[in-house]
Amino acid sequence: MKAGIERRFWGLGLALLPGVAAMPVQAETCVIDDAEREVCLAQPANRIVALSPGATELVFAAGAGDRVVGVVSFSDYPPEAKQRQSVGSHTRLDLETVLALEPDLLVGWVTGNPHEQLEKLLRLEVPLYLSEPRRFEEVATSLERLSTLAGTRELGQGAADEFRAGVAELRARHADARPVRVFYQVWDEPLMTVNDEHLISQAMSLCGGENVFGELPRLVPRIGEEAVLTADPEAIVAGGMGEANRDWLGDWERYEELSAVRRDNLFFVPPSLIQRPTPRLLEGTRMLCDHLETARGRD
Amino acid sequence: MSVLEASGLVIDVPGREDGQPLDFAIEPGQLWGVLGPNGAGKTTLLHTMAGLRAPRRGQVLLDGTSLARLRRRHLAQALGVVFQERQDGFPATVSETVLIGRHPFLSPWQQEGTEDLRLAEEAMARLELEDLAERLVSQLSGGERQRVAIATTLTQSPRLWLADEPTNHLDLRHQVAVMTLLAEQARNGRGVLLCVHDLNLAARWCDHLLLLYPDGDACWGAAQDMLVPDALERLYDQPLMVAEINSARVFVPSN
Amino acid sequence: MAATEPTPTAWSSARRIRRLPLVLLIVVALASLLVAVGVGSVTISPQSLWSVLMGQGDPLYRTLIFELRLPRALAAFGTGGLLAVAGALMQVLLRNPLADPYVLGVSGGAAVAALAAMLVGLGGIAVSGSAFVGALVSTLLVFGLAHGTGSWTPTRLLLTGVVVAAGWGAMITFMLSVGPTEQLPGMLYWLMGDLAYSRGPWPALGLLAVTWLVLMPLARSLNVLARGPLQAAALGVAVRSLEGAVYVMASLLTAVAVTTAGSIAFIGLVVPHMLRLVWGNDQRVILPASILAGGTLLTLADTLARTLIAPEQLPVGVITALLGVPTFLYLLYRSR
Repeated sequence: MKAGIERRFWGLGLALLPGVAAMPVQAETCVIDDAEREVCLAQPANRIVALSPGATELVFAAGAGDRVVGVVSFSDYPPEAKQRQSVGSHTRLDLETVLALEPDLLVGWVTGNPHEQLEKLLRLEVPLYLSEPRRFEEVATSLERLSTLAGTRELGQGAADEFRAGVAELRARHADARPVRVFYQVWDEPLMTVNDEHLISQAMSLCGGENVFGELPRLVPRIGEEAVLTADPEAIVAGGMGEANRDWLGDWERYEELSAVRRDNLFFVPPSLIQRPTPRLLEGTRMLCDHLETARGRD
Repeated sequence: MSVLEASGLVIDVPGREDGQPLDFAIEPGQLWGVLGPNGAGKTTLLHTMAGLRAPRRGQVLLDGTSLARLRRRHLAQALGVVFQERQDGFPATVSETVLIGRHPFLSPWQQEGTEDLRLAEEAMARLELEDLAERLVSQLSGGERQRVAIATTLTQSPRLWLADEPTNHLDLRHQVAVMTLLAEQARNGRGVLLCVHDLNLAARWCDHLLLLYPDGDACWGAAQDMLVPDALERLYDQPLMVAEINSARVFVPSN
Repeated sequence: MAATEPTPTAWSSARRIRRLPLVLLIVVALASLLVAVGVGSVTISPQSLWSVLMGQGDPLYRTLIFELRLPRALAAFGTGGLLAVAGALMQVLLRNPLADPYVLGVSGGAAVAALAAMLVGLGGIAVSGSAFVGALVSTLLVFGLAHGTGSWTPTRLLLTGVVVAAGWGAMITFMLSVGPTEQLPGMLYWLMGDLAYSRGPWPALGLLAVTWLVLMPLARSLNVLARGPLQAAALGVAVRSLEGAVYVMASLLTAVAVTTAGSIAFIGLVVPHMLRLVWGNDQRVILPASILAGGTLLTLADTLARTLIAPEQLPVGVITALLGVPTFLYLLYRSR
């Protein structure tokens, strides 16, 4: 997705619709969401429905967890989120349950929620904030923006500052580190990785890593094993089916000719720590940086 | 009553010379038989006479008007066809099938009336199909389907009948019943043209014959003039013996 | 032979009551819409439902019913009716009860064309128009290729349909693979129909009404056409123009159904088949009955899809396929 922000929400008619009809209310709070739409609330949001697991984490991290009344399947962090009412899966929302919760703010996911359903919710004049952080800085501003809407700005600001500080520290620590050529495996069958537009790739470069497939045109490209063998990464990093499943890495061990295998640089990072654009990304990135540091030591 | 006339007609059999153009007319009350070996073009002739196939040359006229200039619906009100090949695969009951004979007479919004139902019922009774009325045509035997086809045309009650091998698949009794029916139609002032394989059925029932040779040659006329052993032997390329039983001529192949 | 009095036997009197099936089906259709409006993941008591339908009641319930359930139920009804009548028409055209827009790849062709139109940035009516062209091409392809010598054998027809459908499926997967990531969440339904994505019921319902009006005067001609083109011509049917009209109509119906709810499987197969079992094969009954019964079936199937594992939602295509696959296999088994 090299075409920039206006291309990111291509085809989605949402960009033209205002977040909520302008009302003659004195103290409106407005923010700009990730689809470049202005979202305004007359009062701080008190009943929030988060339409992706990542959005749930962001809202909780912004200090508004107690205002979350609805979540989608697989919203497993923080653990309290699992206690909230489910509104279906992010690919197929149960709009009835969403509306029955009488939300005053929805946090949607542009590339995850069906556009038709989002449009429907907009037509019903439910305030909708579209969330899609693609940069570390956007994670921080998401915390600021969401906490602004929820009236928890102080808590959100704190979380955002903490996140920025952590990122800055990592950046400083690895600024002069020797680049390590890394292959990040998103999925195994089909084999999938990420390009440089992806947050994971940005996490890599923060740690002084270099994504061997960064130049591919698609955000989440499908590749073949041969491409990995040709690229010969120095380290292979994978998530997995679960939070502690290293099976995918084991599969690479049969390729002795891979530098990563010879040097035993097969690393596991729990997927929820690095695949979700939330403050926990910092934790996952720290883990990734440690792994890449280890790889440097095995030169 | 109507007259169906072939005028300088050359049927379009692919890969065959034009041969003898046909000039004959089926007058009310006449029962014509078309005789010829396999591949002589009997079915093609019948379809051409029905306006379902364009002639290579000449034309077919219904009461003096070329079929090409008549609307199909108008034609179907005068002319009924019994096909040799039928597509009975799509589910439909016998009564539904027989009743479609009334189609040419009904306007798009019209339903079948009492008179239409009566015609269909009589036709089914005549062909001994009452007990099969609610059976699916696709589940019937070949002979039963043949009777359904004839009952459909009988329901249509056309002034002109064109029947392709109407006795196919029928047992002896039903063969006679169908030929009697066709002869009765002719007697009532309708014109009938049928393709037949069985020389003896033709000899017994038809008053006019058209002999169609594989090379496109043809001759036609009153039955007694056509039933000449020489001509028939040439037609089928088969020696024949002729016998007379109860003053009717019978043709039997000889070796 | 000399009977002058009409003798009302069982079958001729049965012929008189063909309005009964339709009246029955209209009642069932209304009941299915009521069920669809009354049932959902939020429980609304019959009393509350009544007061909402009377124009009062809880504003939340009003929103749920008038903004969510009713439009979706109507979209389901319209789509189901279109697919069922498209199936019934294709069956007459091919003289084969196994024909169905999904099985023959017509839905797939419409989906590919609609998707392609969306990927090049077209919207609205252009997408529907493109879907229509896709359906036409697909029908032409299947009918053309499967046409043996004068008739379509089931094997040949189905093989052609399955192969063409597989080809469209591959093209959809290809377009989903190269298409922008942002587009993906809303696009999978082209493969497996889902009413959660339908934008509005009106195109489908409008076309359904027009279809009814256009088909009724043609229905008897279709009965004749079902006996084969030669027989139909001999009985006064203008075969070529009728076949052309039916072919264009079936494609149009499929295209609008697909743009409303994606490729929903087997409705066109199951509904006419069941109706024929009960009410015979007169298209004057079967075609309007298909509209009503197809609408009813999809409305109920979608209600199940919404509520079966609520709040999780199923695509309705899953439910119709579960109904359709056994029916199809049974028909195929019997057609030997």
